[in-house]
Amino acid sequence: MKLILGLLIITAVITAGNTLPSEKRKMGPLIRETLGPVQVSLQESSAAFYNNETSTSFLYGTVVSEDGLILTKASELDLVKDFYVRVGKKKFRAPKVLASDETWDVALVKIEAEGLKPVKMGPEVDLPHGTWVVSNGAAERRFRRPRPGIISANKREIPRGGGVALGVALKEEKEVVTIGEVTEDSGAEKSGLKKGDEILEIGETKVKNRKVILEALKDRKPGDTVKMKIKREDKELSFEVELMARIDLFGRKKTRNDQLSGGDMQQSERRTGFPMVVQHETMLTRNEVGGPVFTLNHEFVGMNIAAVNRVEAFAIPAEMLPAILKDLQKE
Amino acid sequence: MKRSCIAAFATLGFMAAPLLADRPEFNDKEVPQTLDDLREIQSALQKNLERTRAATVCLQIGGSSGSAVIISEDGLVLTAAHVTGKVGAEIDVVMEDGRKLKGKALGLNSETDSAMLQILDEGPFPFVEVDLKDSTKLGDWVFSLGHSGGFDKERGINVRVGRLVREADTTIQSDCMLIGGDSGGPLFNMAGELIGIHSRVGASREESMHVPLREFQAHWDELKKGDFIGSGGFAKKVEPGSGFLGLITEPSDEGGLKVTELWPEGPAEKAGMKVGDRVLEVDGEAATEETLEATLGKIGVGDSLKLKWVSEDKTLEETIKLEKRP
Repeated sequence: MKLILGLLIITAVITAGNTLPSEKRKMGPLIRETLGPVQVSLQESSAAFYNNETSTSFLYGTVVSEDGLILTKASELDLVKDFYVRVGKKKFRAPKVLASDETWDVALVKIEAEGLKPVKMGPEVDLPHGTWVVSNGAAERRFRRPRPGIISANKREIPRGGGVALGVALKEEKEVVTIGEVTEDSGAEKSGLKKGDEILEIGETKVKNRKVILEALKDRKPGDTVKMKIKREDKELSFEVELMARIDLFGRKKTRNDQLSGGDMQQSERRTGFPMVVQHETMLTRNEVGGPVFTLNHEFVGMNIAAVNRVEAFAIPAEMLPAILKDLQKE
Repeated sequence: MKRSCIAAFATLGFMAAPLLADRPEFNDKEVPQTLDDLREIQSALQKNLERTRAATVCLQIGGSSGSAVIISEDGLVLTAAHVTGKVGAEIDVVMEDGRKLKGKALGLNSETDSAMLQILDEGPFPFVEVDLKDSTKLGDWVFSLGHSGGFDKERGINVRVGRLVREADTTIQSDCMLIGGDSGGPLFNMAGELIGIHSRVGASREESMHVPLREFQAHWDELKKGDFIGSGGFAKKVEPGSGFLGLITEPSDEGGLKVTELWPEGPAEKAGMKVGDRVLEVDGEAATEETLEATLGKIGVGDSLKLKWVSEDKTLEETIKLEKRP
């Protein structure tokens, strides 16, 4: 053991300060070249959205029909009024936004085109953790640059961020919890709770401190209701209070991990509240979502829908897209 | 050539481990040349994922959380010094399936960010092999695991892939991205052997720093026996006797210590103690001036002690956290 330790220290000295040149790294140009065969799929089936005023690319899209139907991220598209689209090397002016879906944050856009190569949506692709996936990286006018990543966590629903809230500020004194303030437009206000009400029970649990209330709300979803028993001027009253997403009620609170992720410039504004996502670790910014994701075998994995933080990107799974598209076409 | 070298090591009997992983060929290419090269990286990673995930845990201390990895059947764990924070800390260890275990922080190196922890529950636990021979080289493909942003059962452990991009004595850098909550988590080579522990990130997204295994090996015995090494920025040493309880007592005729003065808003007053109360026990021992002084002399700011006292016929018991002397 001693001998090996001696050896280790020598190796450490020899290699000290050694650095791998950036072109050979995971995000470097040499691996991009290796991804050439997959780039073909990106080139054919991605749309790039350009801001007409600034001529900068601000979003990608996924081509879903030969005659120019494109899916993209609705909330990001909303921010730019005047835009054009590129598919492959061609430029398409005056695209039309046909419809958008709030649940998935997806918009349907139409360009005047024919003979496009749409992605093959569904059936579900089996994607164990660690599977390589390829997305659109930095924009080039005529060329879709591939960017690699791997499937990094379980496929799942992403609830609306930040948990739920009743919409009351609580005061706690000597094992008595009262309502200090009722938030405007909250479930608490709508149900008729008032400032000064003493909270006796939440769900079926007696309330002795505010912890009991937080515990009762912990695993609940926006839209759920919770029963509350309160005391108001010696009368006991019962209420059914609708829970709301904290984020809708109070706005988003910045976390340390958000700061680490470059904040508003890098992260998608809408990055929670999706019925189902595939998570991958491809480094994307908010302006690089909307496009298709492929495996090394050209299988269509899904459409990037959120740059979540420096380590997470979400894609809507391919098998979910036909139903989303159908709903959008109904509108 | 490479393989025969490793074989020679094995036959010379330097290593305790019976099996030595082959060095994958893709590591000796400057970059993956074809999609098949990338597929080989993928299958090497996936082959080792189940085993390494099973041994990767989330550490929960108060309201914050980090990651760590089990390296022996009986629950020895490697993590980062800035995660355990101090020697002897009681820490919850959460497995990926949500099973919660008790852990105790062993030693740490405040200069390089390495730390050890022991799971106190009975094993056996899933554990990973360690790259004892320091065989991983610059440019080798690696993967990282961690409970990014804290434990999330639905999401599970996050896996990321990259290359070893820089090497120095006490730090290795990869382009596997990290975020808060990953700290203390494991970095593996493509044979699934542990090569480093996540420590910190640089300014750009691709700069991730890890403590190399050789740094743990260099201080193994000290870490295991619970030493606080160095005076670096990754952990602050608790000075024994530095803690402030905020009360003055005198021996009471009825036994124990009578509280004669309380510091306003001090830890004792905040715990509900009143002047005239009588302290009966300090950390389970009968309260005397000697036992109280001895206990306070052993612990410091941020540490806790348990007091039992009588207040107007009621017997109370609280764990009180010591603060800085005002």
